[in-house]
Amino acid sequence: MNIDLKEMTQLSAIFRELFKGYHLSRSEPECYAQLTSQQDQYRALFKALGFELVCDPRGFYYFVPEQMGAQVNKTAQRLALFTFILVEHLADQGRDPLSVLDGGSIGRDELPALLDKYRDLFLQAEVTTHEELEDKVIRRLTQLGFAEDSNGVYRFLPPMHRFLDVCLAVQHDRDLAASLHSNNLPLPAPVLIDDDSGDPIISLDEAVEESEDEAMARALAEERAAQEHDV
Amino acid sequence: MTHAARYSGEAVQCSTIGAFQIERPALSMIDPKRVLRALAEHWTLLEPLCERFDAGTLSLIELRNQLAAQLPDSTVVEITALLDQWIRLDILVPVAKSPNRFELNAQIHDFLAYLRREHRLGLCLEIEAYLRHLERLAGYIQDAFEVRDAHDLTRQLRLLDMRVRDVLKKLGNDEQALIAVAERAKTSDRQIPLRQRYAEVLATWDEYVEPMIQLVAADGAFEQGVYRVEHVLLRLLGEQQRLGQLVDDDLLLRTHARILEMQTSAQLTLRKARELLLPLREEARRHNAVTRGAALALSVIRKKGLDAVPQAALPLFSRPQSTFLGSASQVEAYVYALARFEAKPAHFPKASGKRTGDSPRAPKTAREMLDRCEQALPLPDLMTWLLEQEPEGATDELLYWFSRLSRDNRFQRDRLERRQYLTRDHEVSLSSVALVGRPSA
Repeated sequence: MNIDLKEMTQLSAIFRELFKGYHLSRSEPECYAQLTSQQDQYRALFKALGFELVCDPRGFYYFVPEQMGAQVNKTAQRLALFTFILVEHLADQGRDPLSVLDGGSIGRDELPALLDKYRDLFLQAEVTTHEELEDKVIRRLTQLGFAEDSNGVYRFLPPMHRFLDVCLAVQHDRDLAASLHSNNLPLPAPVLIDDDSGDPIISLDEAVEESEDEAMARALAEERAAQEHDV
Repeated sequence: MTHAARYSGEAVQCSTIGAFQIERPALSMIDPKRVLRALAEHWTLLEPLCERFDAGTLSLIELRNQLAAQLPDSTVVEITALLDQWIRLDILVPVAKSPNRFELNAQIHDFLAYLRREHRLGLCLEIEAYLRHLERLAGYIQDAFEVRDAHDLTRQLRLLDMRVRDVLKKLGNDEQALIAVAERAKTSDRQIPLRQRYAEVLATWDEYVEPMIQLVAADGAFEQGVYRVEHVLLRLLGEQQRLGQLVDDDLLLRTHARILEMQTSAQLTLRKARELLLPLREEARRHNAVTRGAALALSVIRKKGLDAVPQAALPLFSRPQSTFLGSASQVEAYVYALARFEAKPAHFPKASGKRTGDSPRAPKTAREMLDRCEQALPLPDLMTWLLEQEPEGATDELLYWFSRLSRDNRFQRDRLERRQYLTRDHEVSLSSVALVGRPSA
């Protein structure tokens, strides 16, 4: 195959985005148009450089990373959890989850209710506040090209199909369904905190009630004492 | 009109419109010209009524209100006269056992639906019934030929031809109705759940397309029926050549051609139905699968935690890496801070001095702890093990190692009941885990 770099006018932009983990779709019209028109050339070029370009027929492109770090796993888990929650939440509201997640949008004002309703589940993903939800989930979605933020309205892009595929995979996972319905679970269910109980996850019997300033003053005093001691 | 014929022989039938008694004349037939003229003249009034009648019957008051809204300058008497005319022409007929409710004459309704290109989907059973009838007619044709009754043979062939035309008309109507079903599903509000939006599609598939697939299959009633009728007609053609003509060959050939047209039309209608509805049905099924999958995943996460979602199913993507270097002012501030950096004087212990306390231990690395943990597998209680390993460890350090080791992918874990643990300085309450081994690949 002949690869003419002169024709690949968007190469640097495309590579920069894909390398960052971004999913290129129609939201980036120039890059997307060029990837679509020169799909084979780009795939061959990136393959030669050691990157696997995935061209999803549903309208998006991304790099498959060679290996995943634990952090990426966590992000994937968080985003998958958010998708599951959103699908259920929308279905509960009588809205069509697919039309929202496949090109539709939700408003930022819908997030607090979502967080309240699924607080126990978000807790497992270490998301406890609205700010954390925006930072750890929504910002990640936009950073990776799954959604775009337009003045507080989050519009979902075609790459969201990757998470919808997870829903389908889970639905087809008979072992998972069987283990869920089995009484003798191989893994005992973790005890989740009851929202109303006020029981902390880890309780320390030494109740230290000090403000930030007090803590800082105490730390400084300890540090000074240690230095004096060494001298 | 057949409806009008129903009244033939009745002396007088009355309908009450307001204070008026309208006499229904006993006519054997309604003048077609008058009906057609009334339809043409009042089309602007009748068309909106068609839509209302599609949804059900209308009471006299509703009819009056509807017409009054469309004819604001008309008096009550004029509206009554108009309704009277429609009733006389059998365009409007009273609903059985509800004389004050009216509906469009079924024949007129069908005619107007045809003109407005609105088609109601028929039943697959109707086509099957037509096919059975065609087979019976083929039997009569064979009988008539055997007794050499040319008159009966011609009559039966004509009946067969008319029935085939009925089937063709029905298939054409059904095809249009199927297009309308798909269009309605595609254009309705996207905010409502797909299950509702595509309810008509799913019902149409189950009640029409699926039975049609059975019917038109190679061993289905349609193909079998067509084959039998075709066989009779072809045999007749051959026999006529041998025994002499009883009917014109052209009549037989035309009928045969129409039978084949019917067969092709049925297959095309079915193909069209599949092309139109199958993607929508699949979309609805996918939608249901996605919703069920999400609910199942959430149940599993609630019961077993976030790690219970199959890792293999999760999408892989690179860590978002920023290539952003920072603004000029940030870089400037950083360089300025570097330039003004003053190292604190390091206080090294005197060689002669005595050390107070034990020599500080080097901090353990994650790899070291993971290896130790791995060698000690299976661990019935990770927190207890950590306390045994590090009896003098600080609480925060122990909790860090607990969090780090319990989340590591290389271990398969079971969550334990919440209980108290005593560290050097604190009493900690937490749900520990048992590390039972490596996760199965």
